[in-house]
Amino acid sequence: MKKFWRCFICSDIHYGVKPPEVCPTCLAKNAYVEVSSREAVKIMGAGGTTLTREEFRRAILAFAEKNEFEVNPDKAKVEMLLDGLFANEQNHGLKYCPCRLASGDLAEDLKLVCPCHFLIHETYKNKKDGECWCGLFVRRKK
Amino acid sequence: MSKLIMFYARECPHCKAMMPHVEKLENEENISFEKLEVWHNEKNADLMRSYRRAIAPKCGGQLRTPTFFNPETSDVLCGEVPYEKLKEWALKQK
Ligand code: SF4
Repeated sequence: MKKFWRCFICSDIHYGVKPPEVCPTCLAKNAYVEVSSREAVKIMGAGGTTLTREEFRRAILAFAEKNEFEVNPDKAKVEMLLDGLFANEQNHGLKYCPCRLASGDLAEDLKLVCPCHFLIHETYKNKKDGECWCGLFVRRKK
Repeated sequence: MSKLIMFYARECPHCKAMMPHVEKLENEENISFEKLEVWHNEKNADLMRSYRRAIAPKCGGQLRTPTFFNPETSDVLCGEVPYEKLKEWALKQK
């Protein structure tokens, strides 16, 4: 079961079944101690960061760059999907996929947060022209 | 003719692609779909969720958009499909 862990030096928060041995932020060793999700949310909230549409766009471009897929060159489609993702974040708290409806079960619905794990989806896996369900990401042409 | 529903999402490219097919079908045949948007309308979303048991098994285990649904028979067609396939499905519901 995943839990929250906090670095006792720099307050980095990790969510996972076990903490990292080396803190990726301050590089301290064996620095993580378990905290409650309430504490974790409070610490993360203190950061108060926002993510604009342009920042998210840069984030998914950087994410795709190191992978075998790219952000769809069809700009109009990407804009429409970004409209949906940001509307969903505004109205429902997370950037849920615009081509799927959340069930109401948060653990299940985390699978619908963009980018989702589309590498295993029928629309992508083993497909030459594979895309994520919505076509935000497409397999890069060699 | 049974009531047919099209569950769609405003920013879903597959729904956008299906709209002209739906309109063509409505114009050519005596068929009409009740078009229910599910990401901007909680009532519609809840209605779609209430049909989860009928819809999800036929749509990869999820609530996908677009989903064409006959509430009387629980017959389902989901995703972006060619016009002929939509037509065949809709005529079967008559
Ligand atoms: S299918 Fe595409 S747009 Fe939808 S959540 Fe997954 S990556 Fe994002």
